[in-house]
Amino acid sequence: MPSEEQDILKSAVQEFAQKSLLNNLLKLEREGIDDSMVRALATQGFLGSRIPEKYGGSGIDQSGYLVVLEELATFSPSVSALVMLTSSVFAQLVGDMDPEAVRRVASGEAMASVAFDSILEGNTTVEGLKESGKSMTGERKHILNANPDYLISEAEGSGFLYLIKGGIETKEEDQILSFRGIKLGTARVNCSTYVKLADNGKKRLAEVMDSLDLEISAIALGISRGALQKVIEYTKVRKTFDKPLKDYGPVASTISKLMSEQRVLEMALHNQEIEEEKEKLMIKVLAVDLAKRASKYALQFHGGYGYIEDFGVEKYYRDAMGLSILLQRSRSDNQRLAKEIFGEKSGYL
Amino acid sequence: MDFDFPEDIVIARQKASDFAKKEIKPEDARVYDKQEKFPDDLRKKAFELGIVDYTNPWSMLVTIEELCRADAGMGIAATVSLFGAEVIMLFGSDEQKQKYLGSVQTGKKIMGLAVTESGGGSDVAGIKTTAKREGDKFIVNGSKMFITNGSIADFFVMLVRTSSPDGKRHHGLSTIVVEADLPGFTKNKLSGKLGVRATNTAELILSNVEVPAGNLIGEEGKGFYYIMTFFNISRAYVAAQAIGIAQGALDRILSHLGNLAKSGRSEEITEEIQFLVADIATRVEASRLLTYKAASFLFQFKPNPTLTSMAKAYASETAVFATEKALEITGVSGITGDLERFFRDAKIMEIWEGTSEIEKLIISRNLLKEASEGN
Repeated sequence: MPSEEQDILKSAVQEFAQKSLLNNLLKLEREGIDDSMVRALATQGFLGSRIPEKYGGSGIDQSGYLVVLEELATFSPSVSALVMLTSSVFAQLVGDMDPEAVRRVASGEAMASVAFDSILEGNTTVEGLKESGKSMTGERKHILNANPDYLISEAEGSGFLYLIKGGIETKEEDQILSFRGIKLGTARVNCSTYVKLADNGKKRLAEVMDSLDLEISAIALGISRGALQKVIEYTKVRKTFDKPLKDYGPVASTISKLMSEQRVLEMALHNQEIEEEKEKLMIKVLAVDLAKRASKYALQFHGGYGYIEDFGVEKYYRDAMGLSILLQRSRSDNQRLAKEIFGEKSGYL
Repeated sequence: MDFDFPEDIVIARQKASDFAKKEIKPEDARVYDKQEKFPDDLRKKAFELGIVDYTNPWSMLVTIEELCRADAGMGIAATVSLFGAEVIMLFGSDEQKQKYLGSVQTGKKIMGLAVTESGGGSDVAGIKTTAKREGDKFIVNGSKMFITNGSIADFFVMLVRTSSPDGKRHHGLSTIVVEADLPGFTKNKLSGKLGVRATNTAELILSNVEVPAGNLIGEEGKGFYYIMTFFNISRAYVAAQAIGIAQGALDRILSHLGNLAKSGRSEEITEEIQFLVADIATRVEASRLLTYKAASFLFQFKPNPTLTSMAKAYASETAVFATEKALEITGVSGITGDLERFFRDAKIMEIWEGTSEIEKLIISRNLLKEASEGN
């Protein structure tokens, strides 16, 4: 997508966010993303932005998609994560295996969830969900997006990856650190309609997640930009000892350096000549790290106000950490990067 | 130099640790956190069993550490009901000590310290709340923000402006005791905090609140100095809270890694993780030594603000570092367990009772002053 078109798309996402998201951000964090928001995202074509038009998506190219993810994350990392789960993870895993499911999810008619904690750091073995040949039953913990009509999960024992279509009851888990808009949940499944997506579930999930380096970078950079915009605005008007906070050297230089990193990484992210896996991975590793640091300083410079939800800063701090655990495979990424740098398996000891 | 605590403090630590294991269960901590509910039964029990003993500051220090090691929200809630008492202890009249401190020392009542205002957190001298003398009373007007125990305290030690500054902003400030049930005094509980959600925090609004003149603590116009003296004490206790959080995170990392080893997944404990564990443990130990040194000066009535600020800033940064790394190491199991709460709780340590930035300014200015004086 030419940069002029990227700018137009960016303006469209910002306009949508100003109109539909901005006044609902606190509600969204407290109560989760509701159906009307999902429908609004679908109507605008953002929910299925990367899904091909033949499956009911918008079919925009990757450069445009990254703009959508980054801009949405600037306002709400949860909304951006929902779009990525729908447009990238679910759609890639299902694709031609069940086009109708993809169409329903892209249009906002149905919600999709993917259980991929088994490939993340601190994982446990998949337990509880059993496939008998006729039905899929049991319980699956830690599914991201806790209110789904469709669930993608491995089955215990075989490790096959399935698309489970209905028969899903969910209970929200107590985890309240990150992505409060979509939540983590435990699914109780009793379903006879399901489709096998892959024999080696772990491998397939890892392939898909590892193909999303730039998408995760876009969300990370949205988080850091959202946090930095807030803290720049705040430190201009907030005074201490009769001077605006921005006049104090440690505040100004810290924010300025973080903004410099932000700009350089945004230039890299939107550079359409980046094709090498190594470079994509480098951007991701740095972008996620920046999101954590930028949101931490943004909170710190807000003082006590940063610690309460009303100012909308603490969510970036929570979501940056959640992003690095729930959507990123950081140790695996470090080893992938080391392998790219050294040309062979490295950094595993 | 002896690094061992005397036996009574060792026993106090053990008692606090046993109490925490029995009374601060992870499942309860999750509920209080989620519902933002103050665990008053826990607080009362801690007093009844003698876990909270304000007559012995070393005992309080190690008790705070052990309770926050189990859970910071509940641990702080159980130990903070005398917040601000030192101002009365050090500068109050005998009558005030008898009237106000007796009931809080037995856990029957709760008190709070009201200094911070919406317009200035770090800038204590910039407060706007006024107390005008009218006969035998003060008329108090203004508001206070982020006040611990704000909507549950029976009374507050409050910093107010009693006269215009005479060219120096910190002149003209005084401390008075303001009882919570006075007409014109309203409290709004703050919800939606990132962490320490079991603690109570509120905004206080005072509209023509009449306070007896006898509630003035110490001398009129000396309030700023009293509060700075108090912060020197309270910062050591905040350092203890932070050490508790960091140690709690380390405990859970070691437990997680132990489980990996037991289940045949030792290869996942890479050297990168081992280095992080070593870093966290070293920082926790360094925080402890710094805090105990600062406390040692403090509890012998020879406060050293430089050391206290070093301890508070370093221990707070350690808590944030330890909890962040704990989540990175434990991943999904950490974020779906107690560690996510530790991570949220830790951040306030770098903000309340003096931000890390303020602590660093205190340290530098004291060092520069000492250097210029040739010390």
